[in-house]
Amino acid sequence: MSRGTGAGYDRHITIFSPEGRLYQVEYAFKAVKSAGVTSIGVRGKDSVCVVTQKKVPDKLLDHTSVTHLFPITKYIGLLATGLTADARSLVYQARNEAAEFRFKWGYEMPVDVLAKWIADKAQVYTQHAYMRPLGVVAMVLGYDEEKNAQLFKCDPAGHFFGHKATSAGLKEQEAINFLEKKMKDDPQFSYEETVQIAISALQSVLQEDFKATEIEVGVVRKDDRVFRALTTEEIDQHLTAISERD
Amino acid sequence: MSSIGTGYDLSVTTFSPDGRVFQVEYATKAVDNSGTVVGIKCKDGIVLGVEKLVTSKMMLEGSNRRIHSVHWHSGLAVAGLAADGRQIVSRAKSEAASYEKVYGEPISVKELADRVASYVHLCTLYWWLRPFGCGVILGGYDRDGPQLYMIEPSGVSYKYFGAALGKGRQAAKTEIEKLKLSELTCREGIVEVAKIIYGVHDEAKDKAFELELSWICDESNRQHQKVPADLLEQAKVAAQAALEEMDAD
Repeated sequence: MSRGTGAGYDRHITIFSPEGRLYQVEYAFKAVKSAGVTSIGVRGKDSVCVVTQKKVPDKLLDHTSVTHLFPITKYIGLLATGLTADARSLVYQARNEAAEFRFKWGYEMPVDVLAKWIADKAQVYTQHAYMRPLGVVAMVLGYDEEKNAQLFKCDPAGHFFGHKATSAGLKEQEAINFLEKKMKDDPQFSYEETVQIAISALQSVLQEDFKATEIEVGVVRKDDRVFRALTTEEIDQHLTAISERD
Repeated sequence: MSSIGTGYDLSVTTFSPDGRVFQVEYATKAVDNSGTVVGIKCKDGIVLGVEKLVTSKMMLEGSNRRIHSVHWHSGLAVAGLAADGRQIVSRAKSEAASYEKVYGEPISVKELADRVASYVHLCTLYWWLRPFGCGVILGGYDRDGPQLYMIEPSGVSYKYFGAALGKGRQAAKTEIEKLKLSELTCREGIVEVAKIIYGVHDEAKDKAFELELSWICDESNRQHQKVPADLLEQAKVAAQAALEEMDAD
């Protein structure tokens, strides 16, 4: 079961293997996939949208408490893919940091600053012995005064990149292939297009038509910079629009 | 996939090659071996019930309680290692007290569940800690009415209409799903919970057990209290009767 030479370079804290790999970090990425959901993020001309799956396996579970979309501030949203418990702890810390930023500097924390902060935290976990990396990929979205629509992806290795469109989770690669085609000529999507491309990307990689209750959609727009999750009715409208278009 | 002997299961800070944290999964097993714990949300409140397995005949009735009060309006039922559970209870109590001191009103059930969950989750992150060997069901009453949360050793907390932990959780969940929780009152609820606990109890494996019941509803002034002795007795009688009727069939 162990990889490489089997000498146990992957069985402890994060140390280098002779080939120069950090296995524990690679396994943290596997933890993200093992949650079994796929997430999509798409940036339009003046809006950003993220979509993820919502699975409620238990009839006795109150589905309102199952979510991967978290507001960090009023204006910044975070979509967490991976281990839910790890995600909540990350969100708690991010909210704290964003609030302290606002208090210290007197203006809202920019999206890229928050994304960098999350990534820097993740990097520390790859180097220090005391803690394991969090099994979470965080997509951070918001609207920047100077840089317009912003979409970042932060991973357990400590990378953070701005994206036109991106994906995380089980079918990450398939989704990226789909999105690369759609985003080829910098299409400058309108708000409706952005949301619908994101949803149809998810539909395409999962090869199923889902109900409005089976996905979550989070948006930020230029006209309304407040991060919010779409209602089931709104999601339904987009789903109908997609099926009519096809 | 077997996890034993691979070395991936010796620390909470070690991920296995497919991204699992075995130490947390093992902690979950400690919960699965425990006596059954059930919580339901009725239309007017919450009922918590525990099948407390009695290890010694000489143990006094009512000792080693598994249901604890956190503050006036919420209570916590523990499945798994009782000693770990008390640690969680004491943290929950201090979170509730500090919230009230800062904000001047009782902590909401959601906030309490979130805070307890982040404490439980903390113990899955560092090599010098082990995860909690217990799961808890948290019931409470706030301005949004009665609410029920379940927190597992991994540190996830979700809101439930009905929740079950321990040995008989599968059977208990099936029984809870049959109930019409939106029409059930707490008075009826305690009988149903008693029936479930008596029903899932495995006489062959575990001989003696004590039924613990608590509730939070209008009848208890929206406070978390033990179910009064007479009602508890009635519930026990009803549960035993139901059990015998089932055996007769």
